[in-house]
Amino acid sequence: MSGVRKMKVNPLSVIAIMTVFGFGTLLYSQGVLSLDHRVAVMAQIDSTESESPFSLSNLIEQGSPYLGNPSAPITIIDFSDFQCHLCARYVKNTEPLINETYIQTGQVALVFKHLPNRGFDSMGAHLAAQCTDEQGKFWQFHKLLYENQQGIDSGWVNEDNLKKFASQIPGLDIERFNSCFDTQKYKEFVDRDVKLANSQGFFDTPNFIIVNSIDGSDPQIIRGAQPFPAFQSVIEQKLQR
Amino acid sequence: MIMISIPLSMRVVFSIPTYILIAIVMAIPFWILFNVFDQLIFFEPIWIFYLSEDAITGFILTTIISILMGMLVSMNIYVIRHSSKLKISRASLFSGSSLSIISGVCSSCSSVGFLLISTFGTAGIIASNLLTIYQIPLRIVSLAILIFALYYIHKRIVQSCVIDTIQPRSIIITETLPRELRDTDLSMHIMFP
Repeated sequence: MSGVRKMKVNPLSVIAIMTVFGFGTLLYSQGVLSLDHRVAVMAQIDSTESESPFSLSNLIEQGSPYLGNPSAPITIIDFSDFQCHLCARYVKNTEPLINETYIQTGQVALVFKHLPNRGFDSMGAHLAAQCTDEQGKFWQFHKLLYENQQGIDSGWVNEDNLKKFASQIPGLDIERFNSCFDTQKYKEFVDRDVKLANSQGFFDTPNFIIVNSIDGSDPQIIRGAQPFPAFQSVIEQKLQR
Repeated sequence: MIMISIPLSMRVVFSIPTYILIAIVMAIPFWILFNVFDQLIFFEPIWIFYLSEDAITGFILTTIISILMGMLVSMNIYVIRHSSKLKISRASLFSGSSLSIISGVCSSCSSVGFLLISTFGTAGIIASNLLTIYQIPLRIVSLAILIFALYYIHKRIVQSCVIDTIQPRSIIITETLPRELRDTDLSMHIMFP
Protein backbone atom coordinates (compact mmCIF):
# COMPACT_ATOMS: atom_id res chain seq x y z
CA MET A 1 0.00 0.00 0.00
CA SER A 2 1.43 3.31 -1.06
CA GLY A 3 -0.36 5.24 1.72
CA VAL A 4 1.23 3.12 4.45
CA ARG A 5 4.31 4.75 5.90
CA LYS A 6 6.23 4.34 9.06
CA MET A 7 5.97 7.23 11.51
CA LYS A 8 8.99 9.46 11.50
CA VAL A 9 7.81 12.04 14.00
CA ASN A 10 6.67 10.50 17.23
CA PRO A 11 3.60 12.46 18.37
CA LEU A 12 4.25 11.28 21.91
CA SER A 13 7.32 13.44 21.98
CA VAL A 14 5.02 16.42 21.41
CA ILE A 15 2.83 15.29 24.31
CA ALA A 16 5.96 14.83 26.41
CA ILE A 17 7.16 18.33 25.52
CA MET A 18 3.73 19.69 26.40
CA THR A 19 3.84 17.91 29.76
CA VAL A 20 7.35 19.15 30.51
CA PHE A 21 6.32 22.66 29.46
CA GLY A 22 3.27 22.44 31.72
CA PHE A 23 5.28 21.28 34.69
CA GLY A 24 7.92 23.91 34.03
CA THR A 25 5.20 26.52 34.16
CA LEU A 26 3.81 24.88 37.26
CA LEU A 27 7.15 25.02 39.04
CA TYR A 28 7.64 28.61 37.92
CA SER A 29 4.20 29.62 39.16
CA GLN A 30 4.86 27.89 42.45
CA GLY A 31 8.04 29.88 42.82
CA VAL A 32 10.30 26.83 42.74
CA LEU A 33 12.19 28.11 39.70
CA SER A 34 11.99 31.74 40.69
CA LEU A 35 13.62 31.83 44.06
CA ASP A 36 14.85 35.32 43.27
CA HIS A 37 11.70 36.84 44.73
CA ARG A 38 12.44 35.29 48.09
CA VAL A 39 16.00 36.51 47.84
CA ALA A 40 14.63 39.95 46.98
CA VAL A 41 12.41 39.93 50.07
CA MET A 42 15.26 38.82 52.30
CA ALA A 43 17.73 41.27 50.75
CA GLN A 44 15.37 44.17 51.12
CA ILE A 45 14.68 43.31 54.72
CA ASP A 46 18.31 42.65 55.58
CA SER A 47 19.52 45.86 53.97
CA THR A 48 17.08 48.07 55.85
CA GLU A 49 16.88 46.27 59.15
CA SER A 50 15.61 49.29 61.04
CA GLU A 51 13.21 50.55 58.34
CA SER A 52 11.73 47.46 56.78
CA PRO A 53 8.96 48.21 54.28
CA PHE A 54 7.03 45.40 55.89
CA SER A 55 7.06 46.48 59.51
CA LEU A 56 3.48 47.15 60.58
CA SER A 57 4.27 50.66 61.81
CA ASN A 58 5.80 51.51 58.44
CA LEU A 59 2.86 50.08 56.52
CA ILE A 60 0.39 52.06 58.61
CA GLU A 61 2.50 55.20 58.29
CA GLN A 62 2.56 54.84 54.50
CA GLY A 63 -1.23 54.84 54.50
CA SER A 64 -1.91 51.22 53.63
CA PRO A 65 -5.36 50.07 54.76
CA TYR A 66 -5.09 47.71 57.73
CA LEU A 67 -7.38 45.67 59.91
CA GLY A 68 -6.81 44.64 63.52
CA ASN A 69 -4.59 45.50 66.41
CA PRO A 70 -1.73 47.88 65.44
CA SER A 71 0.44 46.14 68.02
CA ALA A 72 -0.35 42.61 66.83
CA PRO A 73 2.83 40.49 66.74
CA ILE A 74 2.18 39.17 63.23
CA THR A 75 1.17 40.95 60.03
CA ILE A 76 -0.36 39.48 56.90
CA ILE A 77 0.27 41.66 53.83
CA ASP A 78 -2.30 40.91 51.16
CA PHE A 79 -1.54 41.80 47.52
CA SER A 80 -4.86 41.57 45.68
CA ASP A 81 -6.92 42.85 42.79
CA PHE A 82 -10.63 43.64 43.07
CA GLN A 83 -11.35 42.02 39.70
CA CYS A 84 -9.51 38.79 40.49
CA HIS A 85 -11.88 35.87 41.08
CA LEU A 86 -9.31 33.96 43.12
CA CYS A 87 -8.98 36.97 45.42
CA ALA A 88 -12.76 36.85 45.85
CA ARG A 89 -12.46 33.15 46.72
CA TYR A 90 -9.92 34.06 49.42
CA VAL A 91 -12.08 36.91 50.74
CA LYS A 92 -15.19 34.74 50.91
CA ASN A 93 -13.68 31.52 52.29
CA THR A 94 -10.40 32.18 54.06
CA GLU A 95 -10.36 35.75 55.29
CA PRO A 96 -13.39 35.41 57.61
CA LEU A 97 -11.67 32.51 59.39
CA ILE A 98 -8.40 34.44 59.73
CA ASN A 99 -10.39 37.41 61.02
CA GLU A 100 -12.31 35.38 63.57
CA THR A 101 -9.34 33.32 64.77
CA TYR A 102 -6.43 35.73 64.73
CA ILE A 103 -7.44 39.31 63.91
CA GLN A 104 -10.28 39.64 66.40
CA THR A 105 -8.04 38.13 69.09
CA GLY A 106 -5.35 40.73 68.43
CA GLN A 107 -2.69 38.26 67.29
CA VAL A 108 -2.59 39.27 63.65
CA ALA A 109 -3.01 42.49 61.67
CA LEU A 110 -4.05 42.42 58.03
CA VAL A 111 -2.64 45.00 55.62
CA PHE A 112 -3.95 45.48 52.09
CA LYS A 113 -1.63 46.26 49.20
CA HIS A 114 -3.00 47.21 45.80
CA LEU A 115 -2.04 45.02 42.85
CA PRO A 116 -4.38 45.91 39.98
CA ASN A 117 -3.41 43.56 37.16
CA ARG A 118 -6.60 41.87 35.99
CA GLY A 119 -8.08 44.31 33.54
CA PHE A 120 -8.36 47.92 32.54
CA ASP A 121 -11.00 48.74 35.16
CA SER A 122 -8.93 47.40 38.05
CA MET A 123 -6.92 50.57 38.56
CA GLY A 124 -10.10 52.63 39.02
CA ALA A 125 -11.40 50.19 41.60
CA HIS A 126 -8.17 50.45 43.58
CA LEU A 127 -8.08 54.25 43.37
CA ALA A 128 -11.66 54.35 44.66
CA ALA A 129 -10.84 51.92 47.45
CA GLN A 130 -7.92 54.02 48.61
CA CYS A 131 -10.19 57.07 48.57
CA THR A 132 -12.59 55.28 50.94
CA ASP A 133 -9.67 54.51 53.23
CA GLU A 134 -9.19 58.26 53.61
CA GLN A 135 -12.52 58.23 55.44
CA GLY A 136 -11.90 54.98 57.31
CA LYS A 137 -14.32 53.01 55.11
CA PHE A 138 -11.88 50.86 53.16
CA TRP A 139 -12.95 47.47 54.53
CA GLN A 140 -16.66 48.15 53.91
CA PHE A 141 -15.84 49.10 50.32
CA HIS A 142 -13.52 46.09 49.99
CA LYS A 143 -16.30 43.77 51.14
CA LEU A 144 -18.86 45.44 48.88
CA LEU A 145 -16.67 45.04 45.79
CA TYR A 146 -15.84 41.39 46.37
CA GLU A 147 -19.47 40.56 47.15
CA ASN A 148 -20.55 42.15 43.86
CA GLN A 149 -17.67 40.97 41.72
CA GLN A 150 -18.52 40.19 38.10
CA GLY A 151 -16.59 39.41 34.92
CA ILE A 152 -13.31 41.17 34.32
CA ASP A 153 -13.84 44.53 32.56
CA SER A 154 -17.56 43.83 32.19
CA GLY A 155 -18.20 47.33 33.42
CA TRP A 156 -19.10 46.40 36.98
CA VAL A 157 -16.27 48.63 38.30
CA ASN A 158 -16.49 51.43 35.77
CA GLU A 159 -16.50 54.99 37.11
CA ASP A 160 -20.26 55.21 37.52
CA ASN A 161 -20.59 51.91 39.30
CA LEU A 162 -17.68 52.67 41.63
CA LYS A 163 -19.45 55.87 42.66
CA LYS A 164 -22.67 53.91 43.15
CA PHE A 165 -20.85 51.39 45.36
CA ALA A 166 -19.34 54.23 47.36
CA SER A 167 -22.76 55.83 47.85
CA GLN A 168 -23.98 52.59 49.45
CA ILE A 169 -21.48 52.90 52.31
CA PRO A 170 -23.13 54.48 55.36
CA GLY A 171 -21.33 57.54 56.65
CA LEU A 172 -19.12 58.08 53.61
CA ASP A 173 -18.84 61.70 52.49
CA ILE A 174 -19.63 61.14 48.83
CA GLU A 175 -18.53 64.60 47.67
CA ARG A 176 -15.15 64.15 49.28
CA PHE A 177 -14.93 60.68 47.76
CA ASN A 178 -15.85 61.92 44.27
CA SER A 179 -13.28 64.68 44.45
CA CYS A 180 -10.60 62.22 45.54
CA PHE A 181 -11.57 59.69 42.89
CA ASP A 182 -11.94 62.14 40.00
CA THR A 183 -8.53 63.70 40.62
CA GLN A 184 -6.88 60.28 40.89
CA LYS A 185 -5.38 61.39 44.16
CA TYR A 186 -3.90 58.00 45.00
CA LYS A 187 -2.55 57.05 41.58
CA GLU A 188 1.06 57.34 42.73
CA PHE A 189 0.23 55.48 45.93
CA VAL A 190 -1.27 52.54 44.02
CA ASP A 191 1.63 52.60 41.54
CA ARG A 192 4.05 52.35 44.45
CA ASP A 193 2.18 49.30 45.75
CA VAL A 194 2.37 47.68 42.31
CA LYS A 195 6.09 48.43 42.15
CA LEU A 196 6.59 46.92 45.60
CA ALA A 197 4.61 43.82 44.61
CA ASN A 198 6.61 43.40 41.41
CA SER A 199 9.87 43.82 43.32
CA GLN A 200 8.82 40.84 45.42
CA GLY A 201 8.10 38.76 42.32
CA PHE A 202 4.33 39.12 42.57
CA PHE A 203 2.75 39.57 39.16
CA ASP A 204 -0.43 37.62 39.73
CA THR A 205 -2.95 37.75 42.54
CA PRO A 206 -3.57 37.02 45.33
CA ASN A 207 -0.22 36.78 47.10
CA PHE A 208 0.59 37.19 50.76
CA ILE A 209 3.61 37.88 52.91
CA ILE A 210 3.38 37.03 56.59
CA VAL A 211 5.94 38.88 58.70
CA ASN A 212 6.78 39.73 62.26
CA SER A 213 5.05 43.08 62.79
CA ILE A 214 7.81 44.85 64.71
CA ASP A 215 10.53 44.74 62.09
CA GLY A 216 8.94 42.97 59.12
CA SER A 217 11.37 40.11 59.59
CA ASP A 218 10.98 36.39 58.87
CA PRO A 219 8.81 36.81 55.77
CA GLN A 220 6.81 33.77 54.74
CA ILE A 221 5.19 33.86 51.33
CA ILE A 222 1.81 32.33 50.61
CA ARG A 223 1.00 32.21 46.92
CA GLY A 224 -2.58 32.01 45.77
CA ALA A 225 -6.01 31.79 47.34
CA GLN A 226 -5.01 29.15 49.84
CA PRO A 227 -7.40 27.79 52.45
CA PHE A 228 -7.29 28.68 56.13
CA PRO A 229 -5.08 25.73 57.27
CA ALA A 230 -2.23 27.04 55.09
CA PHE A 231 -2.33 30.44 56.84
CA GLN A 232 -2.88 28.77 60.20
CA SER A 233 0.27 26.65 59.84
CA VAL A 234 2.44 29.70 59.16
CA ILE A 235 0.83 31.87 61.85
CA GLU A 236 1.01 29.14 64.50
CA GLN A 237 4.67 28.55 63.71
CA LYS A 238 5.40 32.23 64.12
CA LEU A 239 3.41 32.52 67.33
CA GLN A 240 5.34 29.63 68.85
CA ARG A 241 8.74 31.21 68.11
CA MET B 1 -24.68 1.52 8.18
CA ILE B 2 -22.21 -0.17 10.45
CA MET B 3 -21.89 1.02 14.05
CA ILE B 4 -19.09 -0.22 16.20
CA SER B 5 -19.34 0.33 19.93
CA ILE B 6 -16.48 2.33 21.47
CA PRO B 7 -15.68 -0.12 24.28
CA LEU B 8 -14.23 -2.55 21.76
CA SER B 9 -11.12 -0.47 21.18
CA MET B 10 -10.77 0.13 24.88
CA ARG B 11 -11.14 -3.57 25.55
CA VAL B 12 -8.40 -4.22 23.06
CA VAL B 13 -6.02 -1.67 24.57
CA PHE B 14 -6.88 -1.92 28.24
CA SER B 15 -6.92 -5.69 28.31
CA ILE B 16 -3.17 -5.22 28.66
CA PRO B 17 -2.28 -3.97 32.18
CA THR B 18 0.65 -1.93 30.85
CA TYR B 19 -1.74 0.37 29.00
CA ILE B 20 -3.91 0.83 32.09
CA LEU B 21 -0.76 1.80 33.95
CA ILE B 22 0.25 4.21 31.19
CA ALA B 23 -3.21 5.80 31.28
CA ILE B 24 -3.03 6.26 35.06
CA VAL B 25 0.55 7.54 34.94
CA MET B 26 -0.45 10.09 32.29
CA ALA B 27 -3.76 11.11 33.86
CA ILE B 28 -2.40 11.83 37.35
CA PRO B 29 0.16 14.50 36.32
CA PHE B 30 -2.43 16.21 34.12
CA TRP B 31 -4.92 16.14 36.99
CA ILE B 32 -2.34 17.60 39.38
CA LEU B 33 -1.28 20.20 36.82
CA PHE B 34 -4.81 21.42 36.14
CA ASN B 35 -5.68 21.55 39.84
CA VAL B 36 -2.52 23.42 40.74
CA PHE B 37 -3.31 26.06 38.14
CA ASP B 38 -6.90 26.22 39.34
CA GLN B 39 -5.50 26.76 42.85
CA LEU B 40 -7.12 23.67 44.29
CA ILE B 41 -3.88 21.91 45.18
CA PHE B 42 -1.07 23.64 47.05
CA PHE B 43 2.37 22.37 48.02
CA GLU B 44 3.53 25.33 50.08
CA PRO B 45 3.47 26.00 53.02
CA ILE B 46 1.57 22.72 53.45
CA TRP B 47 0.30 20.10 51.04
CA ILE B 48 -3.41 20.65 50.77
CA PHE B 49 -6.31 19.96 48.42
CA TYR B 50 -9.12 22.46 48.68
CA LEU B 51 -12.27 22.47 46.58
CA SER B 52 -14.25 25.66 47.00
CA GLU B 53 -17.83 25.95 45.77
CA ASP B 54 -16.96 28.24 42.87
CA ALA B 55 -14.47 25.71 41.52
CA ILE B 56 -16.65 22.58 41.40
CA THR B 57 -17.64 22.81 37.71
CA GLY B 58 -14.07 23.43 36.59
CA PHE B 59 -12.83 20.61 38.81
CA ILE B 60 -15.29 18.09 37.34
CA LEU B 61 -14.33 19.11 33.80
CA THR B 62 -10.57 18.92 34.41
CA THR B 63 -10.94 15.55 36.14
CA ILE B 64 -12.78 14.13 33.11
CA ILE B 65 -10.25 15.75 30.76
CA SER B 66 -7.33 14.25 32.72
CA ILE B 67 -8.84 10.76 32.60
CA LEU B 68 -9.56 11.03 28.87
CA MET B 69 -6.06 12.43 28.23
CA GLY B 70 -4.56 9.43 30.03
CA MET B 71 -6.70 7.03 28.01
CA LEU B 72 -5.90 8.80 24.77
CA VAL B 73 -2.15 8.83 25.36
CA SER B 74 -2.28 5.16 26.26
CA MET B 75 -4.30 4.29 23.15
CA ASN B 76 -1.92 6.38 21.04
CA ILE B 77 1.02 4.42 22.39
CA TYR B 78 -0.81 1.21 21.56
CA VAL B 79 -1.40 2.42 18.02
CA ILE B 80 2.21 3.53 17.58
CA ARG B 81 3.55 0.23 18.86
CA HIS B 82 1.27 -1.69 16.57
CA SER B 83 1.34 0.77 13.68
CA SER B 84 3.13 -1.59 11.30
CA LYS B 85 0.62 -4.35 11.95
CA LEU B 86 -2.34 -2.03 12.04
CA LYS B 87 -1.38 -0.56 8.68
CA ILE B 88 -2.14 2.94 9.78
CA SER B 89 -1.11 5.78 7.57
CA ARG B 90 1.12 8.49 8.91
CA ALA B 91 -1.54 11.11 8.25
CA SER B 92 -4.27 9.41 10.23
CA LEU B 93 -2.01 8.64 13.18
CA PHE B 94 -0.87 12.24 13.27
CA SER B 95 -4.49 13.43 13.22
CA GLY B 96 -5.41 11.35 16.26
CA SER B 97 -2.38 12.47 18.21
CA SER B 98 -2.61 16.08 17.20
CA LEU B 99 -6.21 16.17 18.33
CA SER B 100 -5.13 15.05 21.77
CA ILE B 101 -2.43 17.70 21.77
CA ILE B 102 -4.86 20.41 20.70
CA SER B 103 -7.33 19.43 23.39
CA GLY B 104 -4.55 19.32 25.96
CA VAL B 105 -3.33 22.76 24.98
CA CYS B 106 -6.91 24.01 24.90
CA SER B 107 -7.66 22.83 28.41
CA SER B 108 -4.23 23.90 29.63
CA CYS B 109 -4.47 27.40 28.26
CA SER B 110 -7.77 27.88 30.04
CA SER B 111 -5.91 27.65 33.32
CA VAL B 112 -2.20 27.94 32.53
CA GLY B 113 -2.28 30.43 29.70
CA PHE B 114 -3.19 33.50 31.62
CA LEU B 115 -0.19 33.03 33.89
CA LEU B 116 2.12 32.93 30.91
CA ILE B 117 0.73 35.86 29.01
CA SER B 118 -0.18 38.09 31.89
CA THR B 119 3.31 39.55 31.69
CA PHE B 120 2.89 40.76 28.10
CA GLY B 121 1.30 44.13 28.67
CA THR B 122 -1.98 45.20 27.06
CA ALA B 123 -2.26 42.16 24.80
CA GLY B 124 -1.59 40.02 27.83
CA ILE B 125 -4.37 41.68 29.79
CA ILE B 126 -6.90 41.14 26.99
CA ALA B 127 -5.85 37.53 26.44
CA SER B 128 -5.75 36.90 30.16
CA ASN B 129 -9.28 38.26 30.54
CA LEU B 130 -10.60 36.15 27.69
CA LEU B 131 -9.01 33.00 29.05
CA THR B 132 -10.35 33.67 32.54
CA ILE B 133 -13.86 34.55 31.38
CA TYR B 134 -14.12 31.66 28.90
CA GLN B 135 -12.34 29.09 31.05
CA ILE B 136 -15.34 26.74 31.31
CA PRO B 137 -16.35 26.98 27.61
CA LEU B 138 -12.72 26.34 26.64
CA ARG B 139 -12.69 23.23 28.76
CA ILE B 140 -15.92 22.03 27.23
CA VAL B 141 -14.37 22.55 23.79
CA SER B 142 -11.28 20.60 24.81
CA LEU B 143 -13.51 17.84 26.17
CA ALA B 144 -15.32 17.67 22.84
CA ILE B 145 -12.00 17.52 20.97
CA LEU B 146 -10.82 14.75 23.29
CA ILE B 147 -13.97 12.73 22.72
CA PHE B 148 -13.52 13.17 18.98
CA ALA B 149 -9.86 12.16 19.28
CA LEU B 150 -10.88 9.07 21.24
CA TYR B 151 -13.39 8.19 18.57
CA TYR B 152 -10.69 8.70 15.95
CA ILE B 153 -8.15 6.49 17.68
CA HIS B 154 -10.88 3.95 18.32
CA LYS B 155 -11.57 3.81 14.61
CA ARG B 156 -7.87 3.25 13.90
CA ILE B 157 -7.74 0.36 16.31
CA VAL B 158 -10.90 -1.42 15.27
CA GLN B 159 -10.04 -1.07 11.60
CA SER B 160 -7.77 -3.99 12.23
CA CYS B 161 -10.97 -6.05 12.15
CA VAL B 162 -11.60 -6.40 8.44
CA ILE B 163 -15.19 -6.96 7.53
CA ASP B 164 -15.80 -9.20 4.62
CA THR B 165 -18.16 -7.29 2.38
CA ILE B 166 -19.18 -10.35 0.37
CA GLN B 167 -20.18 -12.26 3.46
CA PRO B 168 -21.14 -9.44 5.84
CA ARG B 169 -21.44 -11.61 8.91
CA SER B 170 -17.95 -13.01 8.73
CA ILE B 171 -15.23 -11.09 10.44
CA ILE B 172 -11.56 -11.60 9.87
CA ILE B 173 -9.49 -10.66 12.88
CA THR B 174 -5.93 -9.67 12.21
CA GLU B 175 -2.97 -10.69 14.31
CA THR B 176 -2.83 -7.30 15.98
CA LEU B 177 -5.58 -8.09 18.45
CA PRO B 178 -4.46 -9.77 21.67
CA ARG B 179 -4.79 -13.54 21.50
CA GLU B 180 -7.59 -13.66 24.11
CA LEU B 181 -9.69 -11.21 22.10
CA ARG B 182 -9.32 -13.10 18.84
CA ASP B 183 -11.67 -15.73 20.26
CA THR B 184 -14.19 -13.11 21.43
CA ASP B 185 -17.51 -12.93 19.70
CA LEU B 186 -17.06 -9.51 18.11
CA SER B 187 -20.57 -9.58 16.68
CA MET B 188 -21.59 -8.49 20.18
CA HIS B 189 -19.85 -5.21 19.45
CA ILE B 190 -20.65 -4.83 15.80
CA MET B 191 -24.15 -4.06 14.64
CA PHE B 192 -25.16 -4.49 11.07
CA PRO B 193 -28.10 -2.61 9.56
